[in-house]
Amino acid sequence: MAGVSDDSGVVVDRVGKTYDGDGDPVRALDDVSFSVEGGEFVCLVGPSGCGKTTLFRVIAGLADATDGEVRLDGTPVTGPTTDMGVVFQEYHLFPWLTVEENVGFGLERSDRSADERAARVDEMLDLVGLGEFRGSYPKSLSGGMKQRVAIARALAVDPDLLLMDEPFGAVDAQTREMLQRELLDVWASTGKTVLFVTHDVAEAVTLADRIVVMAAEPGRVREVVDVDVDRPRERGDPAFGERVARVRELIGARP
Amino acid sequence: MAADTSGRLDGRDDAGVYAVLGLADPTRLLRGVAGVAGFLGLWYLVSLTQPAYVLPSPAAVGVRFLEELAAGTMTAALASSVRHWLPGTVVGTGLGVGAGVAFAWSVTLDDVTAPLVRTLRPVPPLALIGFAIAWFGINDAGAAFIIAVGAFWINFYAAYGAVEGVSEDLLDVGRTLGVRGDLDMIRSVVLPAALPGITTGIRTGLGRCWMLVVAAEIFGVPGVGREILRASNNLLVDKVIAYILVLSLMYLLVDVAFRSAQRRVLVWQA
Repeated sequence: MAGVSDDSGVVVDRVGKTYDGDGDPVRALDDVSFSVEGGEFVCLVGPSGCGKTTLFRVIAGLADATDGEVRLDGTPVTGPTTDMGVVFQEYHLFPWLTVEENVGFGLERSDRSADERAARVDEMLDLVGLGEFRGSYPKSLSGGMKQRVAIARALAVDPDLLLMDEPFGAVDAQTREMLQRELLDVWASTGKTVLFVTHDVAEAVTLADRIVVMAAEPGRVREVVDVDVDRPRERGDPAFGERVARVRELIGARP
Repeated sequence: MAADTSGRLDGRDDAGVYAVLGLADPTRLLRGVAGVAGFLGLWYLVSLTQPAYVLPSPAAVGVRFLEELAAGTMTAALASSVRHWLPGTVVGTGLGVGAGVAFAWSVTLDDVTAPLVRTLRPVPPLALIGFAIAWFGINDAGAAFIIAVGAFWINFYAAYGAVEGVSEDLLDVGRTLGVRGDLDMIRSVVLPAALPGITTGIRTGLGRCWMLVVAAEIFGVPGVGREILRASNNLLVDKVIAYILVLSLMYLLVDVAFRSAQRRVLVWQA
């Protein structure tokens, strides 16, 4: 996969990351390469310590790679860009802004007119079903609602890629399944490219077209698994169980 | 009296000016009234055993308070003190918040100023009276300078700490949503996130500056502080207490007003 060049989507091209700590330098990522086609939903899974979060930060432009590069729609990522909508595990809503102000935050820096911005905020609030909470402050929202706001905020600037780091890790199981269904609806209706980091294998199999399975020490790509199962996927379906077992085996297996 | 009110104000955080004054909850109100009455009673009993230049009775203080008020000396002194307190507080608060935010945000500025800050910090405002006189003279500006120094440090450290405490994650979110450059980041993420800490500093400073009024007027500028010092020298303890009451009342007034403004600004925290 190394050196793949495709204009639409994300290419992670031989990315390496070394931390120079006290004593020996730590190799967090080594020669990580994979791509996400335009419109594709890819999940990134791996054991703890495999560098998922480091890779997420490199792709988001929040951290520099030591080697290699990340390209979004053919352009190297050199820093944070509004071409990517980023969603973090702990929501990180701006507590001093209302729901609609949070969603509109990125739009204020775009060249849209006030009317266009307001219309876009309405559209996003509809998309995540939070219209009636538009005037609420984050403090009064549940975890699931906060994450919906965070997704709406990330999508508002109409990015090419939705990049998510364990976004449903902090909510209860029921809410998580609901959010997964909603995310698939959003993905279907917007046609965004999605790269979704998770440690939950069943979640990855529920969502992804393909799953990039990582291995630890140093963090690297172990295998890319195709999930050729029709949506909506049922956890009781034998095909679903097979994919889960396959990914678990890859995560657990020693190289 | 001052200690009584400040303990109460810092204690509870539930809604409104009435709550601040303890008027919302009848039980609290009753207890507060009982506390004040008990204190006055005790004061009265002790004052019976002491000459007036050691401890005058509460009634004598009340009479003196009204006399000073009627004669216009109290309002004149207060007006003069406000001319020290207001500009001193405004300038000191503005510079303190500005420097605190800037030094906490910029590593370079912080490195450059750290030794200076550490050297100047322990200097009590009162020790700067020589500079106040040399730079401004024995006038309102000199007194305001002393107060400004006090306000500066309180607000500097409050703002510095508040900005340091802003979550790195919120800054990351800002960056991914298109915030570019220091000014944009400070305006749209850092300041709002640090506002609770900054306003707490301002509130502390407002109170401290009323205390500093006494120190600021020590070198002869007229005002409430000057009246207290002069009455002390003449052993007019009833007058001392009457003017201390003026400071307490001003502190209470400003604190209640600021607190209700703070609540409105920080409505998202409620």
